[in-house]
Amino acid sequence: MSTLTEKRNLTEEIQTAFIERGFEHDSNRNQALELFLAKGFPGPKSEEYKFTPITRLLEKALDLNNVRATENIAAPVSLSIVNELKCNVVAFVNGQFSKDHSVLLDEEIRIQSGAADNAKNESDPFDLLNQAFTNEVIEISIGSKKSVRYPLAIIYYFDSPKFVFANPRWRCKVGSQSSLTVLEYVHGPASSPYFNNKQSSIEAGENSQIEYITIQNGPATGIEVNNTVVHLSASAQASCFTFTFDGQLIRNNLTLTIDGQGVDAHLYGLYLLSKNTLADNHTVADHRKPNSFSNELYKGVMDGNSKGVFNGKIYVRPQAQKTNAFQSNRNILLGSTSTVNTKPQLEIWADDVKCSHGCTAGQLDEEALFYLRSRGISKEMARGMMLYAFAGETIVSIKNETIKSFMDGLISEKLNKTF
Amino acid sequence: MLTIKNLQAGIGDKQILTGINLEVKAGEVHAIMGPNGSGKSTLASVLAGREEYEVTGGQVDYLGKNLLEMDPEVRAREGVFMAFQYPVEIPGVSTINFMKTALNQIREHRGLPTLDAVSFLQLMKEKMKLVEIDQSLLNRSLNEGFSGGEKKRNEIFQMAMLEPRLAILDETDSGLDIDALRIVANGVNKLRSKNNAIVLVTHYQRLLEHIVPDFVHVLYKGKIVKSGTKELALELEAKGYDWIKNELALA
Repeated sequence: MSTLTEKRNLTEEIQTAFIERGFEHDSNRNQALELFLAKGFPGPKSEEYKFTPITRLLEKALDLNNVRATENIAAPVSLSIVNELKCNVVAFVNGQFSKDHSVLLDEEIRIQSGAADNAKNESDPFDLLNQAFTNEVIEISIGSKKSVRYPLAIIYYFDSPKFVFANPRWRCKVGSQSSLTVLEYVHGPASSPYFNNKQSSIEAGENSQIEYITIQNGPATGIEVNNTVVHLSASAQASCFTFTFDGQLIRNNLTLTIDGQGVDAHLYGLYLLSKNTLADNHTVADHRKPNSFSNELYKGVMDGNSKGVFNGKIYVRPQAQKTNAFQSNRNILLGSTSTVNTKPQLEIWADDVKCSHGCTAGQLDEEALFYLRSRGISKEMARGMMLYAFAGETIVSIKNETIKSFMDGLISEKLNKTF
Repeated sequence: MLTIKNLQAGIGDKQILTGINLEVKAGEVHAIMGPNGSGKSTLASVLAGREEYEVTGGQVDYLGKNLLEMDPEVRAREGVFMAFQYPVEIPGVSTINFMKTALNQIREHRGLPTLDAVSFLQLMKEKMKLVEIDQSLLNRSLNEGFSGGEKKRNEIFQMAMLEPRLAILDETDSGLDIDALRIVANGVNKLRSKNNAIVLVTHYQRLLEHIVPDFVHVLYKGKIVKSGTKELALELEAKGYDWIKNELALA
């Protein structure tokens, strides 16, 4: 008897699950599935996933049998993690939109079931998988010239002893001259096993202002792929913040499409990782029109056996003259087995542009540590001060003060407890 | 206060200090001079507890305790202060926050209650005057974008705040123009008292015109080869180090 277990055929299981869920008569889903199957789950040779063995992990963890995981879930009434923050809430419970847990405080916000997207071959395989399996597309819309008073919280709540394969999908249209803060996070008991394969898009109208904050702070069992697109029209301003602190494997594909002149776009990221967490940020700043600005700052601290991956693409299309696009990725490695793979990737077709990039990976500056200690500050506190100063730069631009101070507290707590 | 006996230290395989003997008493100011590469900064670094230097022999007694056994932060809490030759820039940490943390850790070590915000600011304002440093500078990230003179003034400001028993100033005069030198020297002079001691590491007699030492020592090849009073510094300024080297060669 061989003790070797046979390698799972995930693709086959996906096909079976697709039929079991009764999706085979839906042409949109079929098309998405076909395109997905043509690509398959990304293996170690896939350029975009070569540092992130998500397929290997899914082969171990993914359980597709649990079709209706939401039944009999008694999720708490409030899904808030940020105290004293009043929010509009769009909640997905075990991957399905839950009207019971969603709350709209601002009447400017409308929610409805939206039309399916057309599957495109160039999409990320997980985006296609999401299209094939999502329950419904949630469409959030805000008209023109609306100032939404409270942030919009998009919450993915997981509570299930059985594995949940979740494919939430939403899009949010923000009309011209409107402003909106979006806060997005996963929430739920620490032991819930899940794969949250999310796809979302924000369409920001002309002169609109978007603040988009994603907090990824566990549960430690979580596997996530987040395909996120922010489409910016002329003179739109957007700041996206992605904070990754806990989870098993988190992959973020964040794409900013700059599709108008005078756009002002900022991307901030912070990953504070420990234990075996893997966080992979793939970002794209796609300049399609002239005279726009994008700036990206991602920072990481890796301890224990954790792993960070960063890939930052900047595209400047031929017509996007006078583009200013900047990118920086800074990493501190604390553990002897922690790693980071970082790669800037600039593709510039226009000739009159200003672009720069830089990436670093190193240890805490010993000379600075000694300087602090030589004034009487303990080694631990000196480390904490330096790490906090390093990390803090990624939150200074958050406009919502309540969220900013929440993040400030979360970072201090994380640095004190874990590092 | 400080007794150094036959101190030997190096970095990697390189022996730099080959047997230093020095006695510093409370109320005294000692100047350590010497040509480049003689071991002046190494001596300062070893006393402050820089970990890349390895002490291979000798003893350092500070107020009856073995200084070499203490971590850098413990030395600071026990009253040792080093003004850095190259103060470090630390983005994101303001001087004010840094000083507050440092001062309170030192006070805790000495069994004193922590200072509240008001008393701290009061103390800070008082010490700022001493080195003519502006508060806007202290609100900024530690030394980040400071000029050479501002960095050195910030060192003396920190010395004033922490009130050390033993201050080691490592080439505090380097990179200073005449006005900045005067301000820094004035600050140090105001901090001189019969209870504390200062060790000045310097290349030039210029600083010693402002901070008059009780003793001058010449360091050469990791040893103190000549000691004298402030007149020795003048002689060095006039004749250079060659005559000392020649004297040694003849001996």
